[in-house]
Amino acid sequence: MERSFAEEVKQLALGEGQVLRGEGILAITKALLQSGVSYVGGYPGAPVSHLLDVLADANESLLEPMGVYLDASANEAAAAALLGASINYPMRGAVTWKSIVGTNVAADALSNLASAGVIGGALIVVGEDYGAGASVIQERTHAFALKSSLLLIDPQPTLQNLARMVEEGFGMSEASNLPAVISLRIRAAHMRGRMVCRDNVRPAISMKSRLERHSFDYARLSHPPSTYAQEAQKFERRLPAARRHVVEHGLNEVRPGEDKRLGVILQGGLTPTALRALELLGAADAFGRSRIPMLVLNVIHPLVPDQLLGFLEGKERVLVLEEGMPCFIEQELKALAYDHGMTTRIHGKDVVAAQGEYVPEVVLAALARFLGGEAEARHRALTAHAGQGRALLRTPLPKRPPAFCTGCPERPVFSALKIAQRELGETHVAADIGCHAFATLPPFNQGNTILGYGMSVASASAVAPNFGKRVISILGDGGFWHSGLTAGVANAVYNKQDSIVVVLENFYTSATGQQSNPSSGKNPRGDAVSMSIVDTIRSLGVSWIKTVNPYRVGDTLKVVKDAMTTAVGGLKVIVARAECQLERQRRVRPETAARLTAGERVEVPRFGVDPDVCTGDKSCMRFNGCPSLTLRDNPDPLRDDPVAHVDQTCVGCGLCGEVAHAAVLCPSFYEARVVHNPGAWARGVAAARRRLIGWLQPA
Amino acid sequence: MTDAVRPVSILIAALGGHGGGVLTEWIVGAAAHAGYPAQATSIPGVAQRTGATTYYVEVYPQRVAPGAPEPVFSLYPTPGDVDVIIASELLEAGRTIELDYASPTRTTLIASTHRLFSIAEKSAPGNGVFPREALEAAARRLARRFIGFDGLALARQHQSEVNALLLGALAACEVLPMTAGDFEAAIREGGVAVERNVRGLKAGLEWVAAGPPAETRPAARPWDRIRAERAAALGRRGADFTALAERVEAEFPEALHPGLGEAVARLIDYQDRDYARLYLDRVRALAAQHASPRLLERFARRLAVWMTYEDAIRVADLKTRRDRFERIRREQGAPEGAVLVVTDYLKPDLDELYGILPARIAEPIARWAERRWPEGRPTVGQHVRTTSVLGYLRVWGLARMRGLRPRSLRRRREFALMARWEEAVHAAARLDDALACEVAELAGVVKGYGEVRRRLSAALARVLDEAVRPALEGHGDHESATERVRAERLRLLSEETSHTEHHPLPSGERAG
Repeated sequence: MERSFAEEVKQLALGEGQVLRGEGILAITKALLQSGVSYVGGYPGAPVSHLLDVLADANESLLEPMGVYLDASANEAAAAALLGASINYPMRGAVTWKSIVGTNVAADALSNLASAGVIGGALIVVGEDYGAGASVIQERTHAFALKSSLLLIDPQPTLQNLARMVEEGFGMSEASNLPAVISLRIRAAHMRGRMVCRDNVRPAISMKSRLERHSFDYARLSHPPSTYAQEAQKFERRLPAARRHVVEHGLNEVRPGEDKRLGVILQGGLTPTALRALELLGAADAFGRSRIPMLVLNVIHPLVPDQLLGFLEGKERVLVLEEGMPCFIEQELKALAYDHGMTTRIHGKDVVAAQGEYVPEVVLAALARFLGGEAEARHRALTAHAGQGRALLRTPLPKRPPAFCTGCPERPVFSALKIAQRELGETHVAADIGCHAFATLPPFNQGNTILGYGMSVASASAVAPNFGKRVISILGDGGFWHSGLTAGVANAVYNKQDSIVVVLENFYTSATGQQSNPSSGKNPRGDAVSMSIVDTIRSLGVSWIKTVNPYRVGDTLKVVKDAMTTAVGGLKVIVARAECQLERQRRVRPETAARLTAGERVEVPRFGVDPDVCTGDKSCMRFNGCPSLTLRDNPDPLRDDPVAHVDQTCVGCGLCGEVAHAAVLCPSFYEARVVHNPGAWARGVAAARRRLIGWLQPA
Repeated sequence: MTDAVRPVSILIAALGGHGGGVLTEWIVGAAAHAGYPAQATSIPGVAQRTGATTYYVEVYPQRVAPGAPEPVFSLYPTPGDVDVIIASELLEAGRTIELDYASPTRTTLIASTHRLFSIAEKSAPGNGVFPREALEAAARRLARRFIGFDGLALARQHQSEVNALLLGALAACEVLPMTAGDFEAAIREGGVAVERNVRGLKAGLEWVAAGPPAETRPAARPWDRIRAERAAALGRRGADFTALAERVEAEFPEALHPGLGEAVARLIDYQDRDYARLYLDRVRALAAQHASPRLLERFARRLAVWMTYEDAIRVADLKTRRDRFERIRREQGAPEGAVLVVTDYLKPDLDELYGILPARIAEPIARWAERRWPEGRPTVGQHVRTTSVLGYLRVWGLARMRGLRPRSLRRRREFALMARWEEAVHAAARLDDALACEVAELAGVVKGYGEVRRRLSAALARVLDEAVRPALEGHGDHESATERVRAERLRLLSEETSHTEHHPLPSGERAG
């Protein structure tokens, strides 16, 4: 796993009044335990991947003793369905995933869950992957909450409040029988701060005290005719109950301010940004005491009409700060004001950027316009230097996109694919979600479409039969087990698709931080599992399956060319198997260091470039892009272009040499294998060799 | 209100996996240790994989009594409202400036000035590295205080890490309320490679205390030194060099001595005294055309590099030299007593092999081979262990075949194209100096090995015919002709990269 939370996890046992220091994720996990959850699960994805890492690290020491079940859900749909336990039984359960994409995958189960309703609190912690640093399509979860009547919490981001909203979320869910969603923005998920804890609560129903009787109630089946009654309940009973809970428990915060004419209504998540902006504009202090009254909505669905109207009362102008489009809060507020004949002028998307993350620049500009006068002057002063940097630097700085790590086993596969296409002509490549999506960037530029996790093969279904060459679909082991197996491979076999699938099996769901998946040989709880991609695919009736060691670019290249040219029809699957290098190094580096200090024999391979042999044509860069393969000034006084250079971070995977070979580039690359603490014999032989060779070398 | 005590804001710009997260934890840890409220966040996302990424920390510089109201911490840096920017690499420092985070009245910018090149810089044709001067100038102009040092070099020197050195610099510039002791405590509580990191912290503190060392930029190396060094380096052929060096001094203006000296040494090392003489004759011939020093310098440099084209013999020679193996030992940091095993990845194609043979013999073979394999000749892939006796001998034997070179097919072909280029330079020199300089630069496109080099040679031939000849025959407007030739050269260089260049990149790595 990318990060071990072994240390942090100890804090999950903290009791009443003790102080926890750590990430937002940790605070949420602690709050789950303080809420007496019976079961947890989910599927990793930034920014909430670490929530599952924390749970996995806490499983043995904390969850199991409390009887809490940890489910390593195969995908988000499975995680959403897990919450079905709370339909019939008074068990609290929580699951997590990355939104919007995970919510899309979970949609079917979610709708059914929300219709049936829950009697045990059901909480979904979604990582709202929106804005700078987000890795998925830019949509927000709000619309889902509206159409399925899910309670949607957008908490004010302090560890203490995150914990409170988790606990309140369960209460609100039980009060309204609706599943609750708590939405965590990227920066809130990775926020490090402190909170005061309460004691953990043992769940009444758990693996330690099991249910004895099942409960059958047709009214709780999301199946007609129950569904008609359930729809009515949502709007007649459940949502009103949720509104009452919001008010009675003061989940939304009204911050008074001496200015009686103006007001700001905002999503809880935007509060610190807005308060800092107000402070910079001279309308608040460093402790968030604002001159402008604010209505902070920790719960953005359902909204409470009386609360909103009460806030509008007597105000001339109110600004709504609501990230993303459509602007549901602004629209509902305007409709409400209209129905009640309020004269308050309601601003929103007319003064704030419609879409995109509400970063300080955006919120500052909006508030400056809204407040006017001194605020605008302060805003001008703050941004006086804007643009000077770009002017001084003249040209835009080169971008630095994410890339395959040094020694990554996925990079060589794309080197092979690029070389193969150079020789056989380029073809359509269906990319997928995972680290391998970095291949869509320079220097590989491989990948015509991305249609979602595990969807590559399916996304090529209509291209393959209509394309002059065999198309190639990329699938990681994560994507394969998530949905690529059914929606991709099975679908293609069933449709007799004649194409190539390249499965990159590196034994982890790596892009999100090396969580284990069925290819890892164990699940997050540590139980051994033996699930094989090759056997699974063979069992579907695919006969053309080749397994390759990706570091052997030459071999991979042969297999790829064979797949592109063979007369054999149907699906051709190439499985490139090698462990995620990031994870491997995490294991190997300390071992090597230990053996070196112990004086044991250690071979350290690294690659190098002879600067006088390299002519600086840079072809190697264009088939490789390894971070450790870089440039240095040409030592040759007669040449000026920089030459290739392999720096100290090289892990000796050998790709640069293999590429130089497979693509017939140049003779500049060499492998230098340093044998530390060699035996006496090895040292003797080496000395003899050096002497012999020395005679041939002019000093 | 804003005159009151406010949180101190720290923006950390780093590359994924380069210790920005640990640096953040140290700062938060130090604040906790000293009892100051603090909050940090980051946007790793996919940027954690060597992409540009940022971390953000706020520390409230006063202790807050338990139960008393807590200050509001922002999760975002605000352009113009950042007290400290810490960049683990120079381009990333530039990125924070590009995005207006640095304020000339407010910001202390601490940056490691070493460069890690972006893929665009690495695969750009020619030299695509972003000018360091522009980055450092911007840092000086747009930060209230700029603390820049080569963290990578210092880290190696002190056997520590860049982020620990940056932490030391942060502690030294006293923008935060925490003391050096608090930061050291944070490292110790972190418990990871404690001694190594504490060394870095101290080194960083000392560096800032001592201030930047006086600039010691090595001036252009004087001719006498080059002369002595080269003569020594050539061993028994040093006398040949000295003789020709005297000729250089007698026949050419002083400004050209270093360049021509290097060239002569290179040619003797490559072949022999006569070959170097031939070279000087060709430079002389152009000089006789009253060519400008600028033109002579360029022509001489390109000609020397071209005349020492990398044939199999040259590669074998360079691969078997004593100093090469010493260099590798040094670069790999192989300690005394460690054994070094070098494996060379060689894959000459037929052209490169029969290219060594005398033209008379090789010409028919070449013609047949080119008919037989028009798409490119077969290759002989081999991994040669040049630290083993037999492996070494294989390559060494090839290096001994220098004697074949003058009559070799490869030389005939290289010289044929070289002559056409040389003629063009002469012709251009008679018309216009700028044009001639551009034509001379054209030789720079002939690079690489095997297929790559053949493709680029053919391309040069094409340019000489289609762009240069008309320019030379055409009348007047040498300026546009010069531009055309220059454009052709850049096009040739970028052909290989063309579609890696203009490619949209995700906004994921946007700072802040």
